Amino acid sequence: MNTNNSRCIAAVVKARSLREHRPANGSAGMQGGGRVRSRSLSVTMRRSAMTLQNNMAKNQRGEAAPSSRMTGRERQMGGFSLLLESSDDEGPEEVTFEDSKADARRSMKRALDTARREKELLKEKRRKRQELFQEQKKRKLLSAEVLEEIDSTKQEQSHVKAAEEEAEPEEVEGRKRNWKQNAARNLKGNYTVTTVKQSTLASSQLKAAEDFLHSRMYGPGSRRTTSNEMLSLENKMGKNKSAAVQFVKKNWACQKKAKAEKLKKTWIHMQQIPSS
Amino acid sequence: MGEFKVHRVRFFDYMPSAIRAMVFSTRTERLALARADGALEIFNFSDNYFQEKVLPGHDGRAVEALCWVGPRLFSAGLNGEITEYDLENLRPRYTVEAYGGPIWTISVNSQGTLLAVGCEDGTVKMFEVLKERIQFQRNLDRQKGRIISLSWHPSGTLIAAGMMDMIRIFDAETGRATHRLLVDRGAGASKSKEVVVWSIAFLSDHTIISSDSAGKVQIWDGLNGTLIRTHLITKWDVLALSVSQDESSLVAGTSEGTVVQFQFISSTVDRLDKDWVRTRTFKNHSHDVRALAHTETAVVSGGMDTQLVVRPLLDKVEKNTRESAMRKVSFPHRSLVCCAKKAGLLLFQFPDHLELWRLGESDGYGKLGGSLPVKRGPEKLIQLKRKGEDHICCSALSPCGGWLAYSTVTSFRLYRLQNGSISICKVSKLPKDLLPAHQLCFSTNSSKLFASSSNSSVVVVALNELECKYLGTLKAKYGCRQPVHQLSASDNGKWLATANTDCEVHVYNLDKLKLHCTVPVYGSCPTAMAIHPTTSNLVVVHADQQIFEYSLVKKEYTEWSRRLQKQGLHSMWLERDTPITHVTFNPKNPAHIIVHDMFMFCIIDKSLPLPEAKNVLYNQMALRSLPEPDRVLHSHGFKICKDFQHLLCVSLLEDHSLVVVERPLLDIVSQLPAPVRQKKFAT
Repeated sequence: MNTNNSRCIAAVVKARSLREHRPANGSAGMQGGGRVRSRSLSVTMRRSAMTLQNNMAKNQRGEAAPSSRMTGRERQMGGFSLLLESSDDEGPEEVTFEDSKADARRSMKRALDTARREKELLKEKRRKRQELFQEQKKRKLLSAEVLEEIDSTKQEQSHVKAAEEEAEPEEVEGRKRNWKQNAARNLKGNYTVTTVKQSTLASSQLKAAEDFLHSRMYGPGSRRTTSNEMLSLENKMGKNKSAAVQFVKKNWACQKKAKAEKLKKTWIHMQQIPSS
Repeated sequence: MGEFKVHRVRFFDYMPSAIRAMVFSTRTERLALARADGALEIFNFSDNYFQEKVLPGHDGRAVEALCWVGPRLFSAGLNGEITEYDLENLRPRYTVEAYGGPIWTISVNSQGTLLAVGCEDGTVKMFEVLKERIQFQRNLDRQKGRIISLSWHPSGTLIAAGMMDMIRIFDAETGRATHRLLVDRGAGASKSKEVVVWSIAFLSDHTIISSDSAGKVQIWDGLNGTLIRTHLITKWDVLALSVSQDESSLVAGTSEGTVVQFQFISSTVDRLDKDWVRTRTFKNHSHDVRALAHTETAVVSGGMDTQLVVRPLLDKVEKNTRESAMRKVSFPHRSLVCCAKKAGLLLFQFPDHLELWRLGESDGYGKLGGSLPVKRGPEKLIQLKRKGEDHICCSALSPCGGWLAYSTVTSFRLYRLQNGSISICKVSKLPKDLLPAHQLCFSTNSSKLFASSSNSSVVVVALNELECKYLGTLKAKYGCRQPVHQLSASDNGKWLATANTDCEVHVYNLDKLKLHCTVPVYGSCPTAMAIHPTTSNLVVVHADQQIFEYSLVKKEYTEWSRRLQKQGLHSMWLERDTPITHVTFNPKNPAHIIVHDMFMFCIIDKSLPLPEAKNVLYNQMALRSLPEPDRVLHSHGFKICKDFQHLLCVSLLEDHSLVVVERPLLDIVSQLPAPVRQKKFAT
């Protein structure tokens, strides 16, 4: 596929360059162009590429005319190339096989290069966005940490003064310090952090087994649809045809609707105040 | 008859749980069903498919397989434990850790002595079934993949195990794996996925039948370890298999919701070349069929669409009779809604929480059948989450709306509601005898709480402002072991009626706290009962749709009841397939009894004539459409109304308005998990 395309590209390049080099021609040239345009471009280009290459090869081998085995289309395409030749007084340009191959390779490399560059650009963008999110997360966590510290300092008011004095300067620095170090500081007292419910080996195995079952039944390749679609299809194909089951999505924009309700209530309230 | 203002309640988001496994016991005619949330249900197939017992679920008890060993019920789950259940106290008796990782399957040999479980780590573990417990015996040869399904050969010497990509046959005595049968993977994209042998059956002529995730049902020769025949029945998984007792019929359940039957018949007249031939296909489910049971006369299937379907086979039962009708059990056969009649409050019971709602209000008068404008909408007052991992077994709300109680298998909680049910506070220091309660009931004046306990006894506690005091235990006569599933207290506070799953109905005198009388035992289990406020007649409705009225004062059946039994109930009434779950009375008219099932509610007027057996039993809407003379001819005392579907509870409030709690099945189906995508032409 790629080589075909490259051949097409090569042919297009060749055809374009051929056309460009020649001055505006008489009716014969236009006719040939019109005939080409009436067919689908890729077919014509492919055929022209093949015939061009055939011709080039034959020229190299010293064969004069294209073989009689050509189909009508090819003959016309051959006609196209001949037309090009005939429209110009010069002989056909000899483009060797290696040249066009090199051309094809170059254009392919260019295409691959652009694809790689685009991928890298995307990666860069993604990385930057990820970093931004991390940054925001860190900032958010840090503010929660500050509140925690305020709480903890309130509780520690009855403690020894030394501890308080220690806490004070650290609180100020806490905002700038990394959140990990703050957590270590909080463990100074008799605190232990444990999960509320111990997740045992049995529960993790249970979860793994349930995941296996779920992936076999609902995982990729399970060819499933939704209950809504199934019921809607029944409505469509049944005796009494009716609309889809969830024709209107009623639970869209819940928050917006709630906000609108509140605004409406306040507006009505405001309206009533001057009148009363 | 009367006009009622109807509160149509549709805000009970009841969502049943998917059916995960089922097993039928031919000896006791009981079907045990396991749901995805760990709940177990026992259905009595000889009593009109009545849901006798419900064992509440447990977080983390992911039941994968069930097994009857005589009258004992065992389950195995993905938590790696084998549990035996106490069916008289509706709780697990004990659990045994198998130490093999999640357990996928459990199977007992035909002698009932050994229990084999298939584990995630590839071992088949054998447990000895002893009198009060099970004991680990040994492991069979450990395999490399997980064991998904197991089947004993009827002789008890061989076990076939379905694993990933293969089937292994073990010798049960030596524990060695003798044969390995390789299962083909699916074609196309599923060639890269391992094929899971979901279900397997070992027949007595050494034929092994397996069903797998590539949609095939394969028939193997167990002696040589060769494949005889492959049937490709679906593009999706075949999740369940069940063989009939006489091994002539087999059913396979697929992810599409179809159940395919294979029969061991010969294609020609001579009976020599019998083969497994695909005969019938049933499409009774919209979602995956995960559990199957093949009884003698019917195919029972259940799956992700949460409905239990019993399909009688027409070559085993007579056509066009009541036995040949297909039965679907969608709703539980007990009430999940408690209505506080004086306060206008509703209590909804979910497995993990309770919701308390206040009904809305409406002024104005409308014409018959029209809807009234709602002045104040319904509001959810309290959502109470349960404590612990056990699911809620039963709950109750006092008629004045001041007390709320619920019970799980391990705990009992009582709450006092104040300030118009806005504030709630827990009552601590409960009497110890209150555990475990299978059924709860408040007295009408909210001064007493009745909790049914073990051995069909009832514990009575008195409720004061913020405390409760133990008053006494009402004991049934000696030998009653079954749990009480119906409790009903009379309005005047004198009588308490109880019914247990052994079809025994006892009535106690609350003044003396002693047994007053026992209603004569009727063969079918009571599904609902109530005591009339003025006449003190006990009305009992049974699972076979019979209605009895018993006078507690005279200790005999009433005259109306005898008349009804003599004439017999109308055949259309008896052919209804959902049981009556609630009986209540009309304070304005003592001759009325209001009953309801899933599809209709009916006001029985005892003063009107009974319906004639030869006439059609019309409901009210159909009667209204008849011409005038026909209407008079066909009018009878059973006023049936089918305007509201599908009913969970119908109750009458003190202000003479009707509360109808509906849960349309369409709402449940639209929230189920994903079904398979079937490509249909022109869609």
